[in-house]
Amino acid sequence: MSQKLDKNVTQKEVVQAVVVAEHFGNEFVPITDDTPLSLLPLLNVPLIEYTLEFLSLGGIEETFLFCCSNVDVIKQHINKSIEKSAGWSLTMKVHVIISESCRSFGDCLRDLDAKAFIRSDFVLLEPEIVGNIKLLPIIKKHNEVCKSDKGAAMTLLLQETGLGQRGRCSFEELLMVSTPSNRVLLHQKLGTSKKAKIELPLEILMDNSSVNIYHNLKDTHIAICSPSVLPLFSDNFDFQTKDDFVRGLLMNEEILGSTIYWHLIKGNQYGAAITNWRMYQSVSRDILHRWLYPLVPDMGISSQQRSYIHLQNNIYRSKDVHLTQSNSLVEDVIIGASSSVGDKTKIIRSIIGESVKIGENVIIEDSFIFSSTVVHNNSVIKQSVIGQKCALETGCIVTKASVIGKSVVLPENSLIENSLIQSYPPKSGVTSEKLAKNAYRICHEETADSADEEDGLHRKLSRLYMHEESESSDDESIKSSDSEDNLSYTISPVPDDTNLFLTEVIDSLTRGFEDKLQCDNLILEINSSRYAYNVTVKEVNFNVIKAILTLPFQLYLGQPYLSSLRPLLEYFSPILKNYIRNVSAMVDCLQAIEVCRYFFYFLSCSILGDGLDYWITMGGWSEVHAHIGHLFEPFVLHP
Amino acid sequence: MLEMELFSDVIKLISDIRHSKLHNSYDIAIHTEELVERLISEGKWKSAQDLMSLIKLRIARFISALPQEATPVNIMRHILKIIRDEYDTGFKSKGEGHQSLHHLVTANINDSEDYSKLLPTLKSSLLNNLAEYKVELESSMDNIATQALEHIHANEIILTVGKSNTVEKFLKYAAKSRKFQVIVVEAAPRFHGHLMASNLAKSNIQTTIIPDSAVFAMMSRVNKVIIGTHTVLANGGLRTECGVHMVALAAKRYSIPIMVLAHMYKLSPMHLCSSEQDAFNICASPADVLPYSSGPLLNKVHVYNPAFDYVPPELVTLFISHQGGNAPSYVYRLLSELYHPDDQEL
Repeated sequence: MSQKLDKNVTQKEVVQAVVVAEHFGNEFVPITDDTPLSLLPLLNVPLIEYTLEFLSLGGIEETFLFCCSNVDVIKQHINKSIEKSAGWSLTMKVHVIISESCRSFGDCLRDLDAKAFIRSDFVLLEPEIVGNIKLLPIIKKHNEVCKSDKGAAMTLLLQETGLGQRGRCSFEELLMVSTPSNRVLLHQKLGTSKKAKIELPLEILMDNSSVNIYHNLKDTHIAICSPSVLPLFSDNFDFQTKDDFVRGLLMNEEILGSTIYWHLIKGNQYGAAITNWRMYQSVSRDILHRWLYPLVPDMGISSQQRSYIHLQNNIYRSKDVHLTQSNSLVEDVIIGASSSVGDKTKIIRSIIGESVKIGENVIIEDSFIFSSTVVHNNSVIKQSVIGQKCALETGCIVTKASVIGKSVVLPENSLIENSLIQSYPPKSGVTSEKLAKNAYRICHEETADSADEEDGLHRKLSRLYMHEESESSDDESIKSSDSEDNLSYTISPVPDDTNLFLTEVIDSLTRGFEDKLQCDNLILEINSSRYAYNVTVKEVNFNVIKAILTLPFQLYLGQPYLSSLRPLLEYFSPILKNYIRNVSAMVDCLQAIEVCRYFFYFLSCSILGDGLDYWITMGGWSEVHAHIGHLFEPFVLHP
Repeated sequence: MLEMELFSDVIKLISDIRHSKLHNSYDIAIHTEELVERLISEGKWKSAQDLMSLIKLRIARFISALPQEATPVNIMRHILKIIRDEYDTGFKSKGEGHQSLHHLVTANINDSEDYSKLLPTLKSSLLNNLAEYKVELESSMDNIATQALEHIHANEIILTVGKSNTVEKFLKYAAKSRKFQVIVVEAAPRFHGHLMASNLAKSNIQTTIIPDSAVFAMMSRVNKVIIGTHTVLANGGLRTECGVHMVALAAKRYSIPIMVLAHMYKLSPMHLCSSEQDAFNICASPADVLPYSSGPLLNKVHVYNPAFDYVPPELVTLFISHQGGNAPSYVYRLLSELYHPDDQEL
């Protein structure tokens, strides 16, 4: 095999691509337990066919396909496709490379470096890519860039995507700074970093006469690489993903002597990676809306046969589907061959696989039903994924981003909400609940609760998109970010040290609250940072209060402000008592509250009720009143 | 694997068209003709019937893969007719002599030939015939262009839509000896008209480019509309670039003649059955209409970007092929000359 490969490579300069067909994650459990992700049906065609056809249409002549698990199944599939003379097999050679020892994307590339198949520039695809980008002109451009900049290692392909569009993956909110000649200076994925703010190093602005800052881009996970990329991966064995690589290269630009460029995908070209269920959903929708033209169902993806008809409202129907007069396909629906749909059934924005039998009076919304599944009468399926060969008995309700694995049989009238179901008992270590003979619910609650906030959020965002809920949460996040913006405007003249002190205090308090430290110790910490940054007592008072008031944004982003503030106030009450001792301290405190006046109304009942009384009894009220009393009038009058 | 070897030639053609290595109809036509020529000279066939079934299999294969592309199917269909004719004349010249009128009238319709007899001279005569056909294809564009002077007169204003190589050549030929003005409709959202206009302007034709919405306003001062087409349907209607129907209606309103330049291989024995995509239309990527960066709007809307328009025959004044001008009502006659009635349904 390898001898043959070598011969092919040395024969002539061919355009090569590397596809890593392994996801190294458990996003798609339990569907991926028995089918490799590359063979996950996307509009009833295995995902890998989209990737290969894209490469072939893009002008690639030789592809290396990296597989780590389920190798036999993938190999079998590739061979079958070649036999059926799939579109890509005519213009492109595909080599399946097996490296079962690889544990990450980086490992695969290190393995590839060791094998030395790659001689020239190549296209690097992260797992599960779909696209219709013309690659040859971009490779040519990369070549030209390489001539002028010897260190150019990689050209990232990014696509312009509007804010709030579903095709944007929420983890991959990307902020990028580049020079006008498209050299990347800063590349930060906002979703994966915990910080709410982005730091833009001053050097970026000092060293370049002009820079462009982008926040309207989506990573297509496709990159054009120079041959130097592979040795770089080998030299830096801590690079696990492409993002690691980009970050590492940008951080150590001088040491590694490599630069990264980017290219904007324009016009009717499209690229996306399916990294989680939500992306799966939005990519499916984009294909139904024909953004991937000519890779659309009615043109056949890689097969010579055309089996779908494109009708109004983006409904794709296979030729031998059995429909009745009374069932309604509303919009964005695809129904595979030899499926049947019963009377009075309503299907909206859903993918129905091949040989699926759907009974009467069924409602299917925003869902994916894979091949050979049977759905009996009166069932309701919303925002869920149903695997192959399942059976849903009469009256089942499956909603809220549930995922049902292969061959599950759900008994009559079962209600499944937000769960993962598989047909066999899971391995030890994972708790599960038996619903029926062939249905086990996998419990993830523990992992989500065990202080692993990030993981929980991760899971939430990677689920299927749900209309009502997510819209309201979007509003909330916009609200909170608005108030944050306003905050930062009002405090902008604060000198640097004080600012640092504030972040220090916020850090200490966050840690203190999470690890349940003694408040006395926290006071000690705050005092020591006070000396370190040389801030006045006034500023200490001001910033401590401000830190406490902004904490809910750090800890419980997106939740109601008031309810999350209350436990914090209770917990930090010793600290408050320590700092707010006299009238001038109260004035500072009230000023801080005034700065955060957007929460003023929330606060009124929680601390001011007691606090104002306390101040009034202390006799300091008149003085306070003289300063900023007009603000508080309503609350003083109230009791 | 066996199937793949059998059809490797047609699969190659399909993949070339899909990868847009062949994008204009002329290249596709020439490639198809060469494909069949190779099949005749190198393929494994003995009788005319074998050969015809080989070609028919290829046609079926092609239709299932690219139903919108009519040119290769028409070429192969016409070659089927050539084979039938060669077979008939081959046997006629051997024995029967020419048939009497009486014989023709009384002949049983069902008594059709089965083309299974062996004719040793068939291969060479077919290759000769195909060589002639290829020359005809190659010269078709020039033949159409040379008729330009009959249709375009001095100081006329000609309106055309989008881009067509044949129309471009036609206009350029006329511009060699006459001075006239061309108005190009830009044909949104693909804007092929822009390229057309710049090509015409380069050869010193006075060119104006207008948006699609200005067609009606400009129509009153136009003398002739000259367009190309994707396919000519059996009833004389057109399947053509999106937006032409509107132009044709505006021309009809002002009684301005519409001339359609069509190579013979664009004539197709196909009828329009529904304007749904079923066999007729196709929607391209919505990116031309609304860019992907439009934001949350895209979550809520459906965007259609159809590629073709149907123009009914009553709006067309004249078809110009390499043989000369024909009215739409005459298309059926041309079709019966081009294709054998048995090959119309495949």
